[in-house]
Amino acid sequence: MTKLFKLSLTVNGNPYERQIEPRLLLSDFLRHELGMTGTHVGCEHGVCGACTVLLNGDPVRSCLMFAVQAHGHEVLTVEGLGTIDDLHPIQQAFWEAHGLQCGFCTPGFLTTLVPFLEENPDPSEEEIRVAISGNLCRCTGYQHIVEAVQLAAEKMRA
Amino acid sequence: MKLEGEFTFSGPRERVWDIIRDPDILATALPGTKKLDLVGENEYEGEMQVRIGPVAGTFGGKLIVSNEVAPESLTLTVEGKGKVGFLKGSGDIVLSDQGEDATLMKYSGEVQIGGRVASVGQRLFDTVSKSMIKQGLDKLNEAL
Amino acid sequence: MTYKFIGKRIKRNEDPRLLTGQALFVDDVDIPGMLHVAFLRSDYAHARILSIDIEEARQRPGVVAIYTAEDMGDDWEPGPPLVSPPPTLEGVIFNSRRQAPLAKGKVFHAGEAVVAVVAESRYIAEDAVEDIWVDYESLPVVVDLEKAMESDSPLVHDDLDTNLAAHMFQKKGDYESAREQADLIIQKKFYLDRGAAVAMENRGIVAHWDEKSQHMTIWDTTQAPIPIRNGTAARLGLSEKQVRVIAPFLGGGFGPKAMMFYPEEMLLPWLSMKHCRPMKWIEDRRENFYATTSERQQVHEVEIALTKDGRVLGLSDDFLHDTGAFDPYGLTIPLNTQCHVTGPYDIQNIASNCTAVFTNKPIVTPVRGAGRPQGVFVIERMLDFAAKELGMDLLELRKKNLIPPDAFPYDKEIIDQAFAKFVMDSGNYLPVVEKAREMIGYDQFIKEEQPRLRAEGKYVGIGITPFIETTGVGPYEGARVQIEPTGKVNVATGIGTQGQGHFTSFAQIVSEQLGVAVSDVNLVSGDTAQFHWGTGTFASRGAVVAGSAVLAAATAVRSKVLKLASKVLEAPEEELEFENGTVRVADIPRQSISLGELAALANPLRGAVEPGSEPGLEATDYFGPAYGATAFGVHAMIIEIDPETMMIEFKRYITVEDCGTVLNPLILEGQIHGGVSMGIGNAYYEKMHFDESGQLLNASLADYLIVTAHEMPNRIEIGHMETRSPFNELGTKGVGEAGAIPVPACFTQALENAFQDFDLEILETPLSPNRLFELLQREEHEE
Ligand code: FES
Ligand code: FES
Repeated sequence: MTKLFKLSLTVNGNPYERQIEPRLLLSDFLRHELGMTGTHVGCEHGVCGACTVLLNGDPVRSCLMFAVQAHGHEVLTVEGLGTIDDLHPIQQAFWEAHGLQCGFCTPGFLTTLVPFLEENPDPSEEEIRVAISGNLCRCTGYQHIVEAVQLAAEKMRA
Repeated sequence: MKLEGEFTFSGPRERVWDIIRDPDILATALPGTKKLDLVGENEYEGEMQVRIGPVAGTFGGKLIVSNEVAPESLTLTVEGKGKVGFLKGSGDIVLSDQGEDATLMKYSGEVQIGGRVASVGQRLFDTVSKSMIKQGLDKLNEAL
Repeated sequence: MTYKFIGKRIKRNEDPRLLTGQALFVDDVDIPGMLHVAFLRSDYAHARILSIDIEEARQRPGVVAIYTAEDMGDDWEPGPPLVSPPPTLEGVIFNSRRQAPLAKGKVFHAGEAVVAVVAESRYIAEDAVEDIWVDYESLPVVVDLEKAMESDSPLVHDDLDTNLAAHMFQKKGDYESAREQADLIIQKKFYLDRGAAVAMENRGIVAHWDEKSQHMTIWDTTQAPIPIRNGTAARLGLSEKQVRVIAPFLGGGFGPKAMMFYPEEMLLPWLSMKHCRPMKWIEDRRENFYATTSERQQVHEVEIALTKDGRVLGLSDDFLHDTGAFDPYGLTIPLNTQCHVTGPYDIQNIASNCTAVFTNKPIVTPVRGAGRPQGVFVIERMLDFAAKELGMDLLELRKKNLIPPDAFPYDKEIIDQAFAKFVMDSGNYLPVVEKAREMIGYDQFIKEEQPRLRAEGKYVGIGITPFIETTGVGPYEGARVQIEPTGKVNVATGIGTQGQGHFTSFAQIVSEQLGVAVSDVNLVSGDTAQFHWGTGTFASRGAVVAGSAVLAAATAVRSKVLKLASKVLEAPEEELEFENGTVRVADIPRQSISLGELAALANPLRGAVEPGSEPGLEATDYFGPAYGATAFGVHAMIIEIDPETMMIEFKRYITVEDCGTVLNPLILEGQIHGGVSMGIGNAYYEKMHFDESGQLLNASLADYLIVTAHEMPNRIEIGHMETRSPFNELGTKGVGEAGAIPVPACFTQALENAFQDFDLEILETPLSPNRLFELLQREEHEE
């Protein structure tokens, strides 16, 4: 049996401690150890961006990281953004602008966009397209997503 | 996939021929080779560790030498399998004198790969195989 | 008709859950005691299995069991034929060969499942797969369609003496005589290649056999839960009541998730029963490229016969269709191709000859478009060439041949994918074409803009392509609508949903009937415990067929409400109106009762329900269309190509759609945008590269490129026209696939238009920047 590692980290503001195998991916840890299944896995090779979470505020692909690499750090997942009754402005904007269809890619877009909009409160369309170019969506053709980001920026500025 | 190229050895043609027909020297020269045993007159069996981009694994297989015209030309046929896929190929090697103390080797062949090495390693296969051949030939040249 | 809810841009009911990570997808299902399955898949496209050594894998701690085909004993059985050939078509040849749960003796395509490993965790299962050693003897591989049909070709199925999977011939009129009368005959040959659906969610299954209750629950990423339930029950010798299939939220479908039965769908429930433990298998992306179905490879030899003033007299199309290693899905795709190869045009003489071919490649089943893009590509290319030969304007030639509005219903006299006569229900095509022409500024672009930009050294081109989409085919769907005492409305339907917004669009239909807020309508779809009649979500039929069933059920509930309310409010039914969750007397709004109260009254705890009436405010109804509904549309684009890099910029992108009544424009736009993005991929970026030994060389998202936000046009401008379908009460036509269908044809036209000076002739799709560069080089050399 491989030696287990004692991992402690903060997810969405709450501390967690688990004994895990060192090779466990962060995505699998979040989904299957913590039961936070909002983070999705679309490719497991770092291309689709569905698994994006924030590590100390920066977007990372949780499928390319071992959970142990998050030891002592702070992780934010889609579950930590807003709740059904109290959506984060980006979530609200995605809802209003129809920025999602199947919704599988959505958590990765949302987490990518949180720091982006914090740093760029008034982004141009081109900047938005660059910001989301590492996230794949097969349903929307991106247009409504771009509009959602513009709307979110507006909401967050207000 | 086609493999093609040439290489100049700094040694006479007979010496080069001896070296490429010596399994022990070949085994040290081919990168990643774990073993290479002569099992028949012109047949070798061996194991090779290969890494192509994200895919790494051991291939076990056969190498057969045919159409041998010493010290000029031969045909190599390889067939290898491993957990990450398989590889099949054959190629011709031709040696020619290049002045007094040098020999030109020309090689050309076709390789077919399958399995994980093909579906995710394919993009890199070309570069990896070229660099492996180059490394091997450099080693052989040193052995001269 | 004016509606209060239908046709409104209403935000979707399902979104808050999806946006907060609270929606259930199959991989989110976690059951105590669950085991995990991983597959060893064939590296070879065609090989005999000589031996399988699982000893080392068996020793690995955490491995529970390992199965090969032999280990399944009598339970090893290929999947059922999903769709048989049309019984009404004369002289059809159909060789049915179906996929097995695990390969036995021989593998037929790379990626075919050979060994299943069951382990305590996914990680261990994958490790154990690496421990297994399979010895194969490789066999000659069949990849190329034309070579496959040569008499000395190796055989995919050696119990057949041919690689012919099917042959069918359909005709209208008499092509030969049309040909004799023609002034112009053009012959071309087209090569269309394969692409993948690439739903962002891979497939997955959780099967849970509960020994104590003798009940099987399956969560499956399927577009067709009810047939999966029925088939699974039959395979396992259970009654249909013992099996519940749930298709929860799906991360996109696009066709391949409507394929049944995938080997994994046959195996997982069987394994769960065998071990009395829940079993989970989640596909990874590489498996998705091999083990999930894909589509579109065809080779067409086409001839078109025209008069000199541009009337198309006839079309003959002889095509090969790649069905991959097996053909469980029958002839759906080539039937669609046959229906679309004459498109919106009135062509009286058609001869269409289809040969479906077995190859050592993954199985082919519909992918968004399902044979339609191929048909559209062929006819539109032919018309482009004809216009050139005749010196006519591209659009004028098309307009000349459109089916006129008074010709509907228009009978194409061939059989469609539902085996029904292909009767086009309704349409008024010319105004749609004119609208697109106006929106894109066709005339002005050709006359002024293009020459000006060309003079500046820019390569800009325009494409404009009409197309039809057959949608909403039978057999039927059903729905149940029920008002709860809380006043909320429950709706259940059998189809699954993969992002199309059914939770909302169906709710709008119900709200229209019952006057409740859309957010108060709660839809359950894709759970056989809730509704177990129907077929599934495919062929752009969800809104049309299931939507019509929802309408029928909601209408029935409405009349129950009226009857009861009339009694309670002591007013005749005609004077009652539905408003905001209540029923009230039109002139005396104070005299009202809420739907919830009525629901409670309809289900009394004491007293008697009158004989002949049913308790509750609930109704179930069905809809089965005799014919599908044929949507129409035009796509138009202006592109600029960088002659150095061959990268494309979309300057304008326009679609004008006539899909009958629009249920929710927001959702409709989303469907079109998504379709276009897939179409652009299909036209210029996406191609599955199989080498001559049947290996797929780009089985990752790093190598198989789906479009990102960068490759898309900034704005897709959408115009609407509305010709209501007379074949369903909603008057709607499907639109799920429309976006993707005409893009390759339109894009190719625009490319040729941009490179007029090169005399470029494009006879293939998909292209790629590399391929376009090659084609242009070739033209330059030839000059
Ligand atoms: S799952 Fe991590 S990038 Fe695709
Ligand atoms: S909404 Fe389905 S992949 Fe983006």
